[in-house]
Amino acid sequence: MRIRCPFCGERDNGEFSYLGDAAPRRPDGLEASAQAMHDYVYLRDNPAGTIRELWYHAAGCRSWLVVTRDTRTHAIESVEPARDVARARRSGEAA
Amino acid sequence: MSEPATIQASASLWQPRSAWGGAPRAGRHGAPGQAGIRLTLLEGRGLATLVATEGNEAGLQTVLAERFGLSAPEAGGAAFEGERGLVWSAPGQWLAVAPSPHALRDLPEALRGLAAVTDQSDGRALVRVSGPQARALLAKGVAVDLHPRAFGPGRAAVTSIAHIGVQLWQRDAGPSYDIAVARSFAGSFWAWLEHAAAEFGYEVATVQG
Repeated sequence: MRIRCPFCGERDNGEFSYLGDAAPRRPDGLEASAQAMHDYVYLRDNPAGTIRELWYHAAGCRSWLVVTRDTRTHAIESVEPARDVARARRSGEAA
Repeated sequence: MSEPATIQASASLWQPRSAWGGAPRAGRHGAPGQAGIRLTLLEGRGLATLVATEGNEAGLQTVLAERFGLSAPEAGGAAFEGERGLVWSAPGQWLAVAPSPHALRDLPEALRGLAAVTDQSDGRALVRVSGPQARALLAKGVAVDLHPRAFGPGRAAVTSIAHIGVQLWQRDAGPSYDIAVARSFAGSFWAWLEHAAAEFGYEVATVQG
């Protein structure tokens, strides 16, 4: 499997390390219930199909990336810098 | 009587040591015939990482251009004037290269507030790989396409060779490539390099600054 890093171009997946689902959002640790923290830390969907997940280009530009991948075929639909995704989400919240 | 001897002994303990740590042997090695590879150890160079502070990339570019005549290249680029230049490392990050550490002395003050500047002159080992078989040699360790249709002079990559992180950039169409590797990995990297180069026959030389 190869991942097209938006900065470095197409690279072998050995250059990346995998974090997992990009969807969970950390609840405020001081405000959240134990149940909400439990769900955030442990509960993950395991879809057969498209998932957005976090990868880190450890052996390259050291950027965090959000990769949209089909778990059945490993076909990668898109790769975005995680920084851009987080900024877009934050500006969406502010609006 | 013992005093001069003591001074001499302690002076000799503080010799500068090459980042390559004495691993390379100068001269002609490997397969006989015309050497396919030339490995030039680039000693005494000035190196520094520049990390732009949030939102200041444009300001950084301006100061680099106006005060130092350097242009910070786009992703995957290396911009050189002679032996002085900038190599892209990551978004908003570059490696500054100069003939000596002294040549980089004004950068931290000039870029105050625009970029974090960290001296790497003693932190990385540099080698230039050239010769007719240079690309064939690197193809054995680099998982990036270095063919002229995909790579060329002024192109750079951060990747790994034999599981060792490297930053490499092409200097000319010879082709010749400069490779920077963390000093603590220089010995391991050299072991890979000389084994990979042996089948082509290789020469090892050193240049200062």
